[in-house]
Amino acid sequence: MRKAVSEKLAGYCFVGPSLVGYLAFVVGPLIAAIGLSFTHYDVLSPPRLNGFGNYARLIADPRLATVYRNTAFFALASVSLTVSLGVLLAVAVNQRLPGPLKYALRTAYFFPVLVGMIYAAMVWKFLFNRDLGVVNYYLHFFQVPPIAWLTSSNWALWSVILVYVWKNVGFTMLTTLAGLQNISREIYEAARIDGAMPVTAFFRITIPLLTPVLLFNVTITSINTLQEFDSIVALTNGGPGDASRSVVMYLYDKAFRSFDMGYASAIAVTLFGFIGLLTLLQLWGSRRWVHYG
Amino acid sequence: MANHFAETAIEPRIESGNPFSGVRLSGVIGTVIVVAGSVPMVAPFLWMFTTSLTSGARAFDLPPNWFPKDWHFQNFLTLFQSNVPFATFLWNSFEVAGTVTLAQLLTCSMAGYAFAHVRFRGRNGLFALLLTSLMMPMQVTIVPLFLMMSSLGLVDTHWAIILPLATNAFGIFMMRQFFLTVPRELVEAARIDGATQFATFWRIALPLAKPALASLGIITFVNTWNSYFLPLVFLNSWEKMTLPLGMFALSNVYGGGNVSVIMAAVVLAICPLLVLFLVAQRYIISGMVGSAIKG
Repeated sequence: MRKAVSEKLAGYCFVGPSLVGYLAFVVGPLIAAIGLSFTHYDVLSPPRLNGFGNYARLIADPRLATVYRNTAFFALASVSLTVSLGVLLAVAVNQRLPGPLKYALRTAYFFPVLVGMIYAAMVWKFLFNRDLGVVNYYLHFFQVPPIAWLTSSNWALWSVILVYVWKNVGFTMLTTLAGLQNISREIYEAARIDGAMPVTAFFRITIPLLTPVLLFNVTITSINTLQEFDSIVALTNGGPGDASRSVVMYLYDKAFRSFDMGYASAIAVTLFGFIGLLTLLQLWGSRRWVHYG
Repeated sequence: MANHFAETAIEPRIESGNPFSGVRLSGVIGTVIVVAGSVPMVAPFLWMFTTSLTSGARAFDLPPNWFPKDWHFQNFLTLFQSNVPFATFLWNSFEVAGTVTLAQLLTCSMAGYAFAHVRFRGRNGLFALLLTSLMMPMQVTIVPLFLMMSSLGLVDTHWAIILPLATNAFGIFMMRQFFLTVPRELVEAARIDGATQFATFWRIALPLAKPALASLGIITFVNTWNSYFLPLVFLNSWEKMTLPLGMFALSNVYGGGNVSVIMAAVVLAICPLLVLFLVAQRYIISGMVGSAIKG
């Protein structure tokens, strides 16, 4: 009987399970979220259409502006730091090193990538303690007065950024390193014969040829930072006030603490639109600065 | 492809013409930078490990203890003797992460194989469509997902977490990229010999895909093991909680009172990952980093 199954049908059977999952858990809920965003729904009574009511509330909601500003700042700072430090570390490590040292370095930088954010944040929460924390203890040798890392509105978001960079720099470092090793030595040879200085070679050869990897790192990091939830919950719980609250945390609170499902869905729709726009922007921008050699 | 990549990632090529390895001084500076930078990478783990073996009273000593002094194993025993069912959390995490991993290995390799070697109408469009879900955070769909699971009566069961994670666009992409490296002739020869599509996949293609399956399996296991958001939304009884969720509850039960016990719990949660990483570093790195290069 199997032999009678045509090639076409076999194709659909192979992708079937994935397709069903995709329709049931991605496409379906996305459409439902858009639908729910036009309703008032508190779980207890059935959803009630209220037109653009939720969207009118969004525009007037000062907390939404705050959480979007926090998220954008967090994403921008984390992307710039992880991507640029990744380049610095990759260039620094791309040389002949003793085998055991290389293994130790790779383990040290990459292992945090695998550790769950919630665990990493639980450890950092103690290190960041104002009076008893290890970070402030070592900073005081540099005459830095104690910093309230997690409880002051100036520093809370920066703490989240630092932990994000600490956890993820190993990933951008290794992707950049792999990109560096794909650049052929002949190009550097030719540049040297033409009399180019190492610094010139770095900015004219290394960086342009790394742009596909850089684009990848920027895309991955922005998608990840726009949905960061775990580290903020564990480190600051969004505080003080809303100083470090992200969009997805606000969405979660509205949906599962206030049971304001319609409003939460409207927030979800704005996030979806925001990410879609950002993706298009990155694709469009990448035509201008990414070189596929 | 994945295998070849692992080699290059692990062995930096020495380029005489590369200005950053040829010049000795920049080599020294580079070494200093990476070695100095590795200190803050490792220090939190060292503090965590030492604190887990220190009595709670001495956990906040300053200057901090970087090496255990009194080997206070009691913290680990406390975990299993307290009212918090720590062993249950561990088991639940293994169960959920293991099931999700097996499910993804099957669904992703089947779909990846079809996208690489089976011709059917709408193949490329479907593939592109699936990839768009990479851009979409779970939080966008969480409200309808919750309502759906709740109407199916699956809230506070592990199925609410396993089902949405049973397939994954990244995994499909990764497996497709691997199967594209399997020569077309090999697949067609098996078909001409009368093997069905499924037999070709199962007996010819899948055995070749072991390295890719290992990478995908480890990455999926680690991600599920660490996931906090889905369990937070769906699980609410102690008996069902996974480790990250239960740990957070644990840190609330003990408050700030006993840091050492909390750190002991983190050590136990991280240990399986460390073992996995030391054993299978090449599969993990080639799987995660390789996608950057081939993508």
